[in-house]
Formats: sequence, structure tokens, C-alpha cells
Amino acid sequence: MKTQISHQTRLLCLVILVLCGTACKKFLNVVPKDQLTGNNYFKSKEDVESNITSLYSKFFEKINQTQVMGAVGEYRSGEVMVNPLHFKVNEGRIVEALGRNDLHNAIDGNAWRDRYHLWDITNWTTYYQVIQGTNILISKLEEGIPGLGEAEKQQYIGEATFIRCFTYFWMVRIFGDVAYYTNPYQANPLGRENMVSVLNKCISDMKSKMNSMPWTNSDPSKKGSRASRGAAVALIMHMNMWNAGFDPAKKNAYYAETAALGEELMKSNAYSLLPLKNWDLVVKGRSAESLFEFYRSINYGDNVNIDAPIAAPFLRWPFRNPRYDNQVSLFYYTTEYMSKLFPEDLPDKRKEPIENDGWFGDQYGGGVYSGDDKFVMTKFAHNIPASENSAVNPDNTFLIFRYADLMLLRAEALAELGNKDAEAISIVGLVRARAQAGPYDGAGGDELKDFIFMERSRELIGEGQHYFDLVRTGRIMSSKWARHPLNRDQFNRRAWTWPIDHAATNNNPYMSLNDYWESSGL
Amino acid sequence: MNNDHHKFYSMRHFIIAIVLMCCFKATFVHAQTKIKLSGKVTDQTNLGIPGATVFSGSPLKSLTATNGSGEFVIMIESEAELVFKSIGFMEYRVKLKPGQTTILVRLKDNSKEMDEVVVRGYVTRSKQLSTGASTTISGDKVQDVPVSNIEQLLQGKVPGLNIQVNTGAPGFRGTTTIRGISSLSVTGSGSESFLQPTSPLYVIDGVPLDADQASQFGFQQQGPGVSPVSMIPQEDIASIEILKDAQATSLYGSRAAYGVIIITTKRGNSPTPRIRYTLNSFMQKPPKLRETLGGNLERQLKIRQIIENAKSQGDIDRIGSTPFLADSLNAYYNNSTNWQDIFYRTTFNQTHNLAIDGGDQKFNYKTNLNYYKENGVIRNTGFDRYSLTMRMEYKPNEKFSFVGSVFGGIGKTNKGEGLGLLQTGVANNGMASSLLPGPSFFQSTSGVVSALKTKNDNNARNLRTNVEAAYMFLEGLRASTNLSYNFDSNTEDTFTPAAANGQFAKVYAFNGRSDRLYNRSAVTYSKSFGEKHNLFINAFNEIYVEGKQNSITRQERTPNDQFQGPLGYDAYYSRGGGILTDYRNFRSASFAGAASYDYMKKYVVDLSYRLDGTSGSGTENPYSKNPAVGLRWNFKQEDFLSKADWLDMGAIRLSWGMNINPNSSLVDIYGRYNINGNYNGLQGIGIDYGLIPNPNLKPTTTTQYNLGFDIGLFKNTIELTYDTYYKSVKNMVLDRYLSNIAGFGVLKSNDASIVNYGHEISLTVRPLKNGPLTLSFSVNGAINNDVLTQLPDEYNGQMIRWDSNQDYLQHIVYRVGSNTLSNYLRVNQGVYSNNRNVPVDPVTGLPYQTGGRFFEAGDPIFKDVNGDYILDERDYEITGNSQPIFTGGLSTNIGYKNFRLDVYASFTAKRTILNNALADRLRLMKDPFGDRAVVPLTDLDMWMKPGDVAKYPYAYNYTRFGAIQPYRLDQSLWEEDGSYLKINTVTLSYMFDKKLARRLGVQSIRVYVSGENLHTFTRYTGPNPENVTNMGRDASGGYPVPRKYNLGLNVEF
Repeated sequence: MKTQISHQTRLLCLVILVLCGTACKKFLNVVPKDQLTGNNYFKSKEDVESNITSLYSKFFEKINQTQVMGAVGEYRSGEVMVNPLHFKVNEGRIVEALGRNDLHNAIDGNAWRDRYHLWDITNWTTYYQVIQGTNILISKLEEGIPGLGEAEKQQYIGEATFIRCFTYFWMVRIFGDVAYYTNPYQANPLGRENMVSVLNKCISDMKSKMNSMPWTNSDPSKKGSRASRGAAVALIMHMNMWNAGFDPAKKNAYYAETAALGEELMKSNAYSLLPLKNWDLVVKGRSAESLFEFYRSINYGDNVNIDAPIAAPFLRWPFRNPRYDNQVSLFYYTTEYMSKLFPEDLPDKRKEPIENDGWFGDQYGGGVYSGDDKFVMTKFAHNIPASENSAVNPDNTFLIFRYADLMLLRAEALAELGNKDAEAISIVGLVRARAQAGPYDGAGGDELKDFIFMERSRELIGEGQHYFDLVRTGRIMSSKWARHPLNRDQFNRRAWTWPIDHAATNNNPYMSLNDYWESSGL
Repeated sequence: MNNDHHKFYSMRHFIIAIVLMCCFKATFVHAQTKIKLSGKVTDQTNLGIPGATVFSGSPLKSLTATNGSGEFVIMIESEAELVFKSIGFMEYRVKLKPGQTTILVRLKDNSKEMDEVVVRGYVTRSKQLSTGASTTISGDKVQDVPVSNIEQLLQGKVPGLNIQVNTGAPGFRGTTTIRGISSLSVTGSGSESFLQPTSPLYVIDGVPLDADQASQFGFQQQGPGVSPVSMIPQEDIASIEILKDAQATSLYGSRAAYGVIIITTKRGNSPTPRIRYTLNSFMQKPPKLRETLGGNLERQLKIRQIIENAKSQGDIDRIGSTPFLADSLNAYYNNSTNWQDIFYRTTFNQTHNLAIDGGDQKFNYKTNLNYYKENGVIRNTGFDRYSLTMRMEYKPNEKFSFVGSVFGGIGKTNKGEGLGLLQTGVANNGMASSLLPGPSFFQSTSGVVSALKTKNDNNARNLRTNVEAAYMFLEGLRASTNLSYNFDSNTEDTFTPAAANGQFAKVYAFNGRSDRLYNRSAVTYSKSFGEKHNLFINAFNEIYVEGKQNSITRQERTPNDQFQGPLGYDAYYSRGGGILTDYRNFRSASFAGAASYDYMKKYVVDLSYRLDGTSGSGTENPYSKNPAVGLRWNFKQEDFLSKADWLDMGAIRLSWGMNINPNSSLVDIYGRYNINGNYNGLQGIGIDYGLIPNPNLKPTTTTQYNLGFDIGLFKNTIELTYDTYYKSVKNMVLDRYLSNIAGFGVLKSNDASIVNYGHEISLTVRPLKNGPLTLSFSVNGAINNDVLTQLPDEYNGQMIRWDSNQDYLQHIVYRVGSNTLSNYLRVNQGVYSNNRNVPVDPVTGLPYQTGGRFFEAGDPIFKDVNGDYILDERDYEITGNSQPIFTGGLSTNIGYKNFRLDVYASFTAKRTILNNALADRLRLMKDPFGDRAVVPLTDLDMWMKPGDVAKYPYAYNYTRFGAIQPYRLDQSLWEEDGSYLKINTVTLSYMFDKKLARRLGVQSIRVYVSGENLHTFTRYTGPNPENVTNMGRDASGGYPVPRKYNLGLNVEF
């Protein structure tokens, strides 16, 4: 009797436990209605798409904070000045502070600090958010996502890797050495790593993932605006060229890789240069010339900070409204610089006003050499929305990598390699041909290198590349190339970087800041 | 209760029954004549026991019950055997002698340790067999002083239960911790820093309840909800049991990590319906308020202060341009307003409680109606409670039982314009200059209007139903199921009139609900093998389904004071609202099993194990495990002590157990994804960068060892319980702020650990138990030491929580190896008596300085920790301990005839308090041109002239308040010893003579006077060492704890 009872009891308990055990998992699985938690996300291709969208958008948030691309990539060598006739000339003097490389003043100058708040540039948190986001996305993709085929998965991994590597590259150009990691949910603090090593890691990371992407996105809505193999190649070329400048011992290897990738890119025939008369398509975005850009469109209701595009301060009415505020453009390129860039005696369609498909001036004047009171850069004066009298910028994209940029980068690498001058000249010729400028007829060697540099400055004017070209080629140390050169000591102390927000040292014992800016900035 | 007795004594009863039957048979033939028997049933003090049941026959039949004075009359066969039973007393059997017609029965009460029962895992067990540490408080110890929250009456009654009544806000809870702190999370800043509460789990009549339900937003913002504990009428409480060690709590699972408090309400127990009425009318007085100098005294002091300390003629000239100093004839500036009097008041309040009960063992019922009203000592605050409890129990036979109960209550709180606990607005306005005219019909400041005219109405409605059915399948095997549903609806409406809010009225509305469905199914089995081996098995599972949703509406401007709704007429002034983020949709399922074995009640082994699964921890590994082991040796039962009469009982207990508390949510583990940003025509959904997901988040594990010793001597004259414990709390959640290269803001890490260890002792002495004079005295105390044993690695053993409030900068430091919550302050070493005492940097030749100014005589001596002759943010040091080390209480109960005097006191010792109240008072001196009051400083040991050796720096030199900040709050000058001994309650009661009561037409009358919070003995110089936050900060914006005088009446019909 006794044993029977205990058997029964045990059996009863067992039955209860088994019943509950199976039902419990279901019972305990509550999908929260009020929030989307990570375990209920990444369940379909749509989730991946919307996540990757948020990463692009996150990065763009950073560019959109203020006049970022101009401040980091265009003005710091001093060729851009403020138009004294503009009614906001005092705010505009920020460009002169930038041009003197006086970043402390540029950030904190009383007249402009509230409008431009450049301290935002010194804070890299958002970039690291993008990096965490991509790391998490890649880890989720590697774990496998339902409904995603192997090819698609690899393509998304390639795209996420591009965003990650591009972010590092972008940060390296602004801050120099940065902390590098690729594992998701990185919580422990890290110190900064030598930028050459960071970029080398990014190069190998990107190279191993890029082949899963198509050369260019077949979906026209993603062309240029979303990463492709073309964008990845462009990024690797740029990273190589940067390292070539800072890792001279191995520079030939970097040049060789750039040249080889450039050749591969051009042979893919995925990209082409549009005729100048179709230039409006290039600056609108998603064109055959675009390898990578942050595409913005008023049709999508995209919000663009009025001060964010580099083009904005170089435009005036009728390209910007309201007319009474925009009689003249705020910034101008000095006549001296423009004369150097576009010699008066050489034909070049890019010098022409907008009516003739050129990039400078219009029917009201403001041509390429017009200087302080008239200058207008109509390179980005296309795609003007009907804005009545409200202040709206032209509806242009934020170009990052453009085909012409990469062609010239390839030419530069070839010229640097020393024995491929002819090839380099022919590539430069292609870019110049589009501008209906005469072919290069000078000698090889240094003259060719200098010419390619000038050609990059011409072709990419206002695209935020000029200062980085000066830095990576070391030309920033010569007054021949820069109106405000750095001396070698300043260069070695990384005067070309930006100061880093002191918040970086919070909770991070390994963190160091940019000494140049922490000492005096002189 | 009785049921269990049956179980344990069934064997003995059986034998007795057989013996008795033989006797019956023997007597059956002889006597058949019925006699009239009259008698009285009394307790040990000769007081009649009403409602005691008289049984006779075989099987036992209930014949009658005693009346209000314990008397009865029955017709019965002569020489019959009678059985007397009454709850709370030992059963008594007697056989009538031939010819006996009167009987006096004196029942022994079974409050003796040996016969007490305890609740373990929702079933009652004999305390004699329990291995865990717990304390039981009978309901009559929490009567006689009306309180809105019964917790405060437990203060000082249970060793190891540290209750600090740190707010006088009506309807709010103080802090309750069992065996030290278990949390590191501090919210808020400055005086408003609060340690996240870790309240014990409350189990009310078998239904678990979260005491903190209403305060999800942290301690200082309780939301509109009233704690469920505040909803329980004290008159309805039969007993309270506090479970402390892991063996006792482990069966309650994760929720019991901070201890368990079990409240049992009264049952119906009277064959004739009984009506009991309790009336309390009490007066609440605010404590002594801050002394201020009024009227002309204030003006004179301010002017003298300026003249004596002015740095330039301009300062002196400024008196002329400050009208309220210069223009003393102007009626507007010629007042002596007592501002504090405008806000604080003495209130009169009443509570009524009506309890009706009836029934017997088979069927009983009770109803309790309660009304409680308390007007706060701060005007425009208060708490009202209306509640109704009904319970019925039906037990048609030994096998089946059914219990149903309903509780409904409404709690209405008025928080005024404050948050309840904090009344910063009142505190701030109470410091206004006395020269200004008081509020009147024509004019009033917005602060005054805000404090007095803000309409705040909080309603917490609570409905709790509970049904329990049990069936005994076989002898010893019992299955039961309990289903309960709990629903809360909370609303808050605050209307701020235009005059209080920049000429625009403002409306805030909160609307929330929460519900819980709870089910428990249990199987218990008890069996004895061969007289000596006893086995008891208890297995049950619990299921919770919980939901909560709160929403708010805020309208910053409404058209006028008459328009208080409907809300939302103007989108521009609507300040958001909608569903709050504390939405909850939660489920949990638990399985628990316990086995208890004893050998002749001498050696006891308890084993228990519980699995808790919650929907919050994800489906991958949802279960946390709570094991426990307990051992007990009742050494009194040993042969060699069986003859020791002086020893009533003696036992040694040893237990080990773990409570594993999954503290993670799905968001913590997997992160939250938000809709954010769009790009290229697509909507982005990205991770929320506030909190980094931590898939490795481990549950907080509390491991506890307990060694206990119980002894009872000389027939319960002396009872002693001693426990020592070691409690290690591992994997505590600590927010780690990340470096910005991580992109995320905070990591919920669980690399922090605390150890609490200590001793608890409780001693009761009853020198006089019988006779007209009874006396009992008890004392209990606990020592708890807490040590921080681990922090996340990167802190290298020290983490500083910087105070974000720039006015306070009272930082907190967590240092491994020291007590958990220390202050991080500048060390004050006195006052520079002369200028030559200021140290001079031998390198630069400059005196010790701060903020560009050199220290002088009369300035405080701050320790220059790094020795650089400059006082800056590097000169902080670890100091103090905000948590008390000793807590305990004393009680004395004296009875003489119908009089009774009960005195309860509690004490707290070795605790550091930051006397911010004093600091605020002294800082009133910083601006003699301002419109703040001034306070008399003559009673302070303050530096007045060169050569003085003083404690407090010179307060009158207002020009030094800027750079030197002699009264800065981040200094150890404010650290004071917060030890105190408080006379909690004193009750003097008188029970009217039965005959007199009868003549008035009632069964009994009892009247009493009582007082609460009567006096606090302390060396602390602030207002009240208890009325401080749980971080030991005396916020002058807190709600003062009032003094209470009560006149009460109990009547039974």
C-alpha cells in the first residue's frame, strides 16, 4: 500500500511536470507588443534591408550635422574665403579660421559657433554606432537569417562590410589613429590603433567580402546609393592611396594594388563618365558615374541640413532662395587659386558658366575667376526644387566616390609606380576629354604626378577630396600647393587631424587624444 | 491550523480515542442522567475566552460555544468527557466527576514556540520542525496605533528586518530591507539620491504581491499608485511572518530574493455572529520646524552681515538700493511672516473599522470594513482608504475544503504639488524671507499657490479575489488549487492653477491599470513510518500572467482655471504623453518541490528545489533554479535532556540556499530595435544605442548560509533566538557607462557582488506571567555588515558615481573590500583659526587656494589630498557608510488587572548621515540681499574671530560663498552619526469589566490611548535621523515624520 501510494504520487508529479514542461515554452514566449526586441528581429530579408537602411541613415546623420564635408575636406588649406559682401559675413569667417587650420577658433569662434557647431565633428560616437550596427548585422547574417539565400547573405555581408570599412576610412581621415574592432557588442574600452594598420585591416576585410557584390546595383534605385563592388573597389583604392602616403616603405605595393583594382574597375565597364551636358544627372545621384554617394531626394522627404552640402555656401540666387538673402554666395575660391587650377589660356569646358554646361558662374556673372564679390560655383546648381521663397538647397546627392575620382586615382598610382606613365596619361586624357579640355602633353615623372594632382583638384573641386589629397601626398607641406601649408613638424604632429572630443577619455583608460590639438594647436 | 495538529497528533489521538472508547463503554451502562453544567473557559490570566467551542461525544459533536466572557451552560450526561477548543489555545480534555455541575477550564495558549506554526511554501508546518530562520508577529502587536502602512509598526520588532520610516508622507512606504542591502543602483542626484529599493515579497493569505508595484519609476517618484501594503487594514491582520534565510524563502523563488513577509488575515471564528468595531481618532503634529529669525531681527542681521563683511563701499551702498532692507517703513517689507506655518499644520483624523465574523470549523465567514483618513501635516496632502474584505471557508468534511475571498479597496492620495516623498516646493517656499507679507486675498507668490492650491487626486483601486479548493484523496495526500485575480486601476489628476504656473493653468493626468492572474496547484503528502520516521512532501507549481499599461496626458496651458478638461484641445501646448514605457506583458511558470524528513521530531532534514521560468528571460534558457537545504536538531528531545525541566525547548538550525533572480529583460539580452532614420526611400529600423545588449547577463544569485539557535527556559520565562548568516549576492546588475568608441551608452553588467554577514538575536523575558500583574520584556537586535566584493574589472576595484547635481557634488564611491555605499567627499579638518595656519606652498610661496582664492582664517580646512596646495576635484576621499550596521528594537508589555501598557522602541546605530538640512540652513546666509530667511546660528560652534577654534566656518562673510564655498555640500563636515533610539509607540489600554460592558449592552469595551513617534534620542543635530533618504541624506525637501497621538476604542457586540 505504502509503495503503491508513493508510486502514484510520483507518477502524478511526473505527469504534471511533463504536461507543463511541454506547454511551458509556449506559455513563456511572450512577443512584446510595445517594443521590438532583438530576438524578434532579423527574421526576414525585409528586416535586413531596414537595418542596413538605418546604418546608412546613421552615417548620413553625421555628415548632415553641419558643413562637415567642406570643413574636413575642402577648406583647411586656405583657398576658400568668405565673401565680404554677404550679410552673414561674420558667420562665414569660420572658413577663414578653417583655412588657417585654426580649428580651436573654428570650433569655438563666437560669431559662428552656434550656427556651425563644429564640435560635432570632433565627436565620433555616431561613427562607432554605425560600426557596432554593422558588426551586429554581420554577425546576425553569419548566424543565418530565415528566407535569405546564400548569395543574398554574402551580398549583404559585403554591403555591411563596406559600411564598416568606409566608416573607419572616414574616421582615419578626420582623426588619424582610431580604435578598431569588428566583433559585435564591443563593450570593453580600446585604445587607438595606428591608422595604417587600421586601414590595412579594412583593406583585407573588404577584399575578402567584395566579390559577393555585383559591380553595380542592377536596381536603378540602388545605383550608387547602396554599396556595390564598385564602391568597395573605390574604397580599397582610396585606403591604399592613403596608406601609401603614410607607410612609405611599402608604398609601391599600395600603388600597385590601387592600379590593379582601378584597371579591374575600368574593365568591368560598369561605370562611365557622363557628358558635361548631363552633369545635372551626376549631381542628382544614382548616375552611371556614381560609385558611392549618400543619396538624398526631396521626393523621399529626406531632410538635409541647409548648411550640410559643400555646394550650399558657393551658391546664390537664382540657385538659392530667397533672393534677398542670397544676392551673393557666402564663400568663394580665390581668383589666384582658380587661375592656377584653370589656366586662362587652356581650353576647359568646366570653366564655363552653367548655361554652357560648365561649373562656374551663370548669365549674371560670377565666373571662374570672379573672386570675392561675384563668385558662384554652379557645379552643384542643378536640380533646384520650386521652393518659393523658402531657403532650400538644390536637390543634389552627397557624392563620395565618383568614377572620375577613381580613374584619376588609378592614374596617380600608375604615375607613382614610375614605369606606367603612358597608361596614366591616357587615363587622365579620358577625364579631360569629358571636360573637353586638351590632353596632357607634358613629360612623365614628377610633372605628370603634379598634373594628375591638379587634375584631381579641378575635377573634384567642391567634393571634399582636396584637403585629403594634399595630406596623403604630403603636398600640404608646400606653399606651392597649399595657401596655408603645414610645416613638417606640424605634419608629423598630425596637425592635419581634428581634435577629439574629450568625452572619448570617459570610461576609457586606454584612450589618447590628438596631442597637436591638446597642446596648443600651433 | 487545527488540521495540521490533527495530522501530527493523529497517532496519539487514535490511541487516546481507543482508550476513551473503552471508558465510554464502561460508563455507558452506568450513567444516563443528564445534568445542567455551567462553566467558564479562561486563559492563563483568568480572562474569559469568548467563542471557545465545547465538544463531547464520539465522534465529537460541538455542543455550544462560550459567550463573550467565556461562560457557557449545557445539558450533558453526567461524567461525560468534554473537549474544549479555541483558536490560539491548546485543546483541553476533561472527564466530569460524578455530581459535578460547574467547571472552570483554563486553556493553555499555544503561543509557545514548540506549538507555533510557520508557513513554508504556502503550507503550514510546525515551527518545531522548521529549519529556516523566521519570526512571527501576532496581529495584536500591530494594532492600537492607526497607520496607513502596517510596515512601520513592524519596525524594531523583528531582528534583521530593517525598516526606516523615512517619510511622513501619508500612504507612502518607508524602506524595508531584510538582512542588508542587495542593490547598487542609485538613482537621482544630490539630496534626492535614492538606492533602488529591494523590497521583500509579500504573500497575503497565500497570494504573492509586489509591494513596489506602484513605484516602477524609482523611489522618489512613486506614481499615483498606492503600495498594496498600504491597502491592508491593520485591524484585519491575524499574524505576520517574516522569512529571512534562503531555506525559508527558496520555495518562493526568484521573487523572494529579498525575503518574504507573509500576512495572514483574520478568520471567522464564532458560533454566534460577532461584530467588532474599532475607532481611532488621532492627532498628527509636525515635528519641530526650523528656527528662523523673524521681522526686524532678520533685517538687522542681514544689514549687520553686509556692513561687517562688505568688500567695497558699493556693497554697503547696495543696502540703500535693496528696498526690503532699507525701506523698513514700507508696509510691504515690514512683516514677520512665519512661512513654515503656512505650509505645516496639525491635523485631526479618524479611522473606523467594522469586523463581522461568525461560523465554526465547518463553515465560517468574516467581513471587514475599513475607513482610514489621514490629513498630512503638510497642507494639501493626505491619504484616505476605504476597504472591504470578505472571506469564507467551507469544510463539509475532513476531505474537502473550499475558501473564497474578496478584497476591494480604494486608496486616495493627495501629494499636493510634490512627488509625495519629496516636497521640495514647500521646503523652498518655507525658506522665504519673513519680511515679505504672507499670502492674502490680494497677493500671493506662485510658490505658495502652487503648494496650497494644486489639485492633486490619486486614486488607486484594488480588487483581489481568491478561490482555493483542496481535497484529500488518501490519508496524507492532499491536492489543492488556488486561483487569484488581482486588478489595480490607478489614476492621477493634477491641476495647477494659473497663478501657480506663470499665468497659465496646467493639467496632468495619469491613467493606468495592472492585473495579475495567479494560479497555484499543489500536492502535499505526509506519512509516518513506524512511529519514528516522518516524511512530508510538498510539490506545487505557480503560474503568473501579468499585464500593465499606463498612459499620461499633459497639457501645459489650458485657457483658464475653470477649464480642467477634456484634455488635448491644443496640440501646441500638449506636452506629449501616451503609453508609458513600463508596459508589461509578463508570464512566469514555476515548479517547486520540498521534502521534509524527521526522525522522532529530533532530527529534521529539509530539502527544497524550485524552478522559475519567466517570459522576460527569453526562451533559450528560461529557468532559474533555487535549491535549499536545512537541518535541525531538537536537542531537547534527546534522552539526556528529557529530564531537564528548566529547558522547554532547544534546537540548532543550519541552512543553505540560493535564490536566483533573473534580472534581465529581453531588451537587456537582445537589445531593442527602433524605427529610426530613413535612407534611399526605405524606412530604417536600427538598434537602440542606449543600452548594449548583453547576452551573457547572468541572474543575480543570492546564496545564504544560516546558523540558528533557539532555546526556551523555565517554562517560557526566557526565550532566546539567535541567528548568524552569511549572504552573498553575486552578479548584481550595475550600469557600466561605456566609452564612446562602443557607440552604446550603458552596459548592464553583472560583475558586482556584495556580501552581507551578521548576527541577529531576539530575547524575550516574561518574569511575571500569572496573576494580576504580568510583565514581559523583549529586546532584539541585528548587526549587518556589508562588503563590496567585486566590481567590473575595468574599475580596478573602485567606481565613483559622480553626483550630477552641481549644487551638491555628494559623490558615492563603490570600493571593493569596504562597505558598499560610501560617500566620496572633501575631508573637513576644522576651521583655520588664524591666517598663519593656512599652509603655504614652499615652491610657489602661495597659500593653499581654491578657485583662484586663498584660504583665510574662518575658512574650513579641507584636506589637500594630493598635496598640491590647490583644492580641486582631485581632493576627494572615501568616507562614511550610509547604511546602518546595528538595528533593532525593544518592547515592554505590562498588564495589571484590566490595564495594559505596551511600549515599543527601535534603534539604529552606526550610520553616516549627511546633514544637508543643516547645510541648507547655513547656506541661507550666502546672500543677505536675497529674499531668503535667515536662521539663528548662535547655537553653533562657529568661528567668529581670529583665534577661535571652531567646528563650523564663518557663515556671515557672504563674499566667500562664491569661490571658497565654506559651506559646500561635498565635505565631510556634514557627516554625522545617525544613531538613534526612537520610542515608536506607547499604548495604555483599559478593558472594561465584563459586567459593566454587559450592562451597556455590549460584549466588551476596550479604550486606549497611544502615541507614535514620540521621541527620538539622538546626537544628530538635524531634524530627524530617520527622516533621511535610504542613501543617508537629510533632504530638507523631505516629508517630515509627524508625531501621532491617538485615542481609540474597541467595542464588541
